[in-house]
Amino acid sequence: EVSVSELGLGYESDETVLFRYCSGTCDAAVRSYDLSLKSMRSKKRIKKEKVRARPCCRPLAYDDDVSFLDAYNRYYTVNELSAKECGCV
Amino acid sequence: LPLWAGMDPAASSKSNHCLDAAKACNLNDNCKRLRSGYISTCSREISASERCSRRKCHKALRQFFDRVPSEYTYRLLFCSCRDQACAERRRQTIVPSCSYEDKEKPNCLDLRGACRGDHLCRSRLADFHTNCQASFQSLTSCPGDNYQACLGSYAGLIAGFDMTPNYVNASTTSITISPWCSCKGSGNLEEECEKFLRDFTENPCLRNAIQAFGNGTDVNLSPKS
Repeated sequence: EVSVSELGLGYESDETVLFRYCSGTCDAAVRSYDLSLKSMRSKKRIKKEKVRARPCCRPLAYDDDVSFLDAYNRYYTVNELSAKECGCV
Repeated sequence: LPLWAGMDPAASSKSNHCLDAAKACNLNDNCKRLRSGYISTCSREISASERCSRRKCHKALRQFFDRVPSEYTYRLLFCSCRDQACAERRRQTIVPSCSYEDKEKPNCLDLRGACRGDHLCRSRLADFHTNCQASFQSLTSCPGDNYQACLGSYAGLIAGFDMTPNYVNASTTSITISPWCSCKGSGNLEEECEKFLRDFTENPCLRNAIQAFGNGTDVNLSPKS
C-alpha cells in the first residue's frame, strides 16, 4: 500500500493504491540460450557488453488500471502500475 | 462512546473519510476496477467541442453502482466531511463535469417529463419519492425510519440518468443536493416545480440519512420489525 505521490510519477494525491512488484532470483530458470550466450561471450565471440545471459524476474502481466483524484481535483488513470504475475524471462 | 474515542486527536482532526473510502475501494479488486472504469470513461475527452460521452459515462456509473457492494459505494458517496478538501472530493465522486453538469440548466419539470418517458428512470424516481418522502410522523423524517431505503433510491437515481442528483457545492456545514435543473421558465407551474425541486434541495429525510451514514449512527436506527 503506497500513496500515489510516493510512486514518483509526478502525480500529487493522497489516495492509496496497492503496489505489487516482482522479486527473487532466477537460477532455476537458466536456459540453453543463457549457457550458450555465456560461453560465447567468454570466448569473445560476442563483444557487446550489454548482453544479458541470465533470466530475470519481471512482471508477466499487470493489474487493471487504477484511477485517482489528485490534490487539484482532477482525475487520472494509470495503467500497468502494479504486477499481477511474475516470471523469469 | 463515540467512534473516535481513544484515537489520536491530531489524527482524527486530519482524517478525511472520503479519502479513506477511496482507499478502501482501491484495495478491493472489484471496486478498483469498476471505479477506474467509470472514471476513465467519464474523463475521456472526445473532441474539442465534446468534453466526454455522457451516455457512456452514465452507463459506466450504472455498472459501478450495480456491481459493487454498497459498503464501498455508499462510503464514497455519503462520507462525512469536516473540511473543504474532503467535501470537494465527495462532490467529485461521480465525475460531475461529465455526468452532472451541462451547458444549460433545463427546467426541472421538463427534466421530470423526460425521465418519466424512460421506464427505468420513471421507476427509480418513483422509488426516490416513496423512500425519501419527508415525513413528520417519524423521528428521522424518513418513512418507517428507514435510512437505507432512502440512500438506496438516491444511489439508484445517480446510476446514469439526466435526473442524476449531486452535491451542489463543497460546503461542510450544510448538505445541499440537487439535480442539474432550475425552475426558471416554469410559467404558471412555478409552484409545482419548486415543490419537486425541494424534494432534493430541502429534504430533511435525505439530509438526515446522508448525515447518519457519514457519522456511523444509522446502525442504531435499523428498521423496526
